[in-house]
Amino acid sequence: MREYSGNRIGEEKDVTIVRDIHLNLEQRQILRREGIRRQSSVRPEIIALIDELLLNIDAEHLLEPVCAYAIYPVSGIDHDQLSLSGDMVLHAPLLASALPDAEELAIVVGTIGPGLEKRVTEYLGKGEPLRGLLLDGIGSAAVDSLSQQACQLIQNEASLRGYQAGSRFSPGITGFPITEQWQLFRMVPADEIGMSLAASGLMVPRKSVSMVIGLGQKMVVRERGEACARCNLSKTCLYRWETDNQHIEA
Amino acid sequence: MSGELTKAIADLEENEALRLTREKLDSGVEPQLILEESRKGMEIVGQRFGDGTYFLPELIFSAEILKEITEIVKPKLTQEVQTERLGKCIIGTVAGDIHDIGKDIVVFMLDVNGFEVHDLGVDVPPQKFVEKIQETGAAIVGLSGFLTLAFDSMKETVDAVKAAGLRDKVKIMIGGGQIDDEIRKYSGADAFGQDAMTAVSLAKGWL
Repeated sequence: MREYSGNRIGEEKDVTIVRDIHLNLEQRQILRREGIRRQSSVRPEIIALIDELLLNIDAEHLLEPVCAYAIYPVSGIDHDQLSLSGDMVLHAPLLASALPDAEELAIVVGTIGPGLEKRVTEYLGKGEPLRGLLLDGIGSAAVDSLSQQACQLIQNEASLRGYQAGSRFSPGITGFPITEQWQLFRMVPADEIGMSLAASGLMVPRKSVSMVIGLGQKMVVRERGEACARCNLSKTCLYRWETDNQHIEA
Repeated sequence: MSGELTKAIADLEENEALRLTREKLDSGVEPQLILEESRKGMEIVGQRFGDGTYFLPELIFSAEILKEITEIVKPKLTQEVQTERLGKCIIGTVAGDIHDIGKDIVVFMLDVNGFEVHDLGVDVPPQKFVEKIQETGAAIVGLSGFLTLAFDSMKETVDAVKAAGLRDKVKIMIGGGQIDDEIRKYSGADAFGQDAMTAVSLAKGWL
């Protein structure tokens, strides 16, 4: 449901807020987020517990997915920064090198809300770490799905203007410092969807995402596996994508 | 019947493990022998986790089974054995970072494996670690951090321990998403771990 679209920040910047986003929680994506890379050997007790937790999530409305985004024209690309309309600048060598053809930049923030992580804390606090761990993994899978849905929305919108949407990039990866999180939060009214930043730049609620997506007539879209391969955790990350089909052994 | 409990735990057969525990207790088996057999099962789980047969949820599942067995056996143990712990550990997520789930899992695994664990929570300033070491006399400290900015906090914490004259009295391990040996060297810690099982192995190795 598109709740709101209007001029809210800076110089007549259009911001769109979307709620009631349908999240696709596939079991294999949940297992990937649980750090399980060989689906066939998972204990049935663990599968049953994940199913039970999913039912509880529905019954207790623990997921409240929402996202907000704004689109800024790109006014210049330097070797380590991207300049946007409204005198906004992102200091990120990765963006400058990866988005040479971007004519616009979509700034996106989104969250599944605080409910799920509060429940995770409760489980951990009362000595039920397995439930806590599994629920946390479901929350991460939910954020992944939210990210995908948000990207799809932006891609659809861009295509109406004859643009393509490129790959997404989030602060904290090599070449896109987490300190730029503050700038992203100035460019989109994250507080209107219940998001804020801790002093460290960490998003609150933690089960949230921030990202930028380049838009233009010729944009490069990388597979998720390629993005993981560029990360400095590519060999050790429990949640990495190998390729679209190989991330979990059958 | 010997070895059945070890196998049940190693194979994560929760109901069977609990049934065998009760059966053994009822037939007069010493509770300490039951715990010993359970720990052997946990060792096999640890090996399977290490070789990639089991994943983190299965490791936690096994620890929960061990915890249940310990609860069943506990009333039959002498007071002395009940309170006996392998050693004291202090664990916390360093200043500036609020990630807790990895830290909480390490706390749980150390506790289940027989350590007295003092959990300082998240966003813990260096001085709080120092004060807790002085208060408890713990010889093992674990610093958790997920963000890259946690590396500086880890270094500051190790430096604070050094400044308090406690560095040669404690072993310090670090852990978190991006920790490697470069970060260990930078922080001045003694070791790093990439999972909860490594934390347990390190702590046992430092006894």
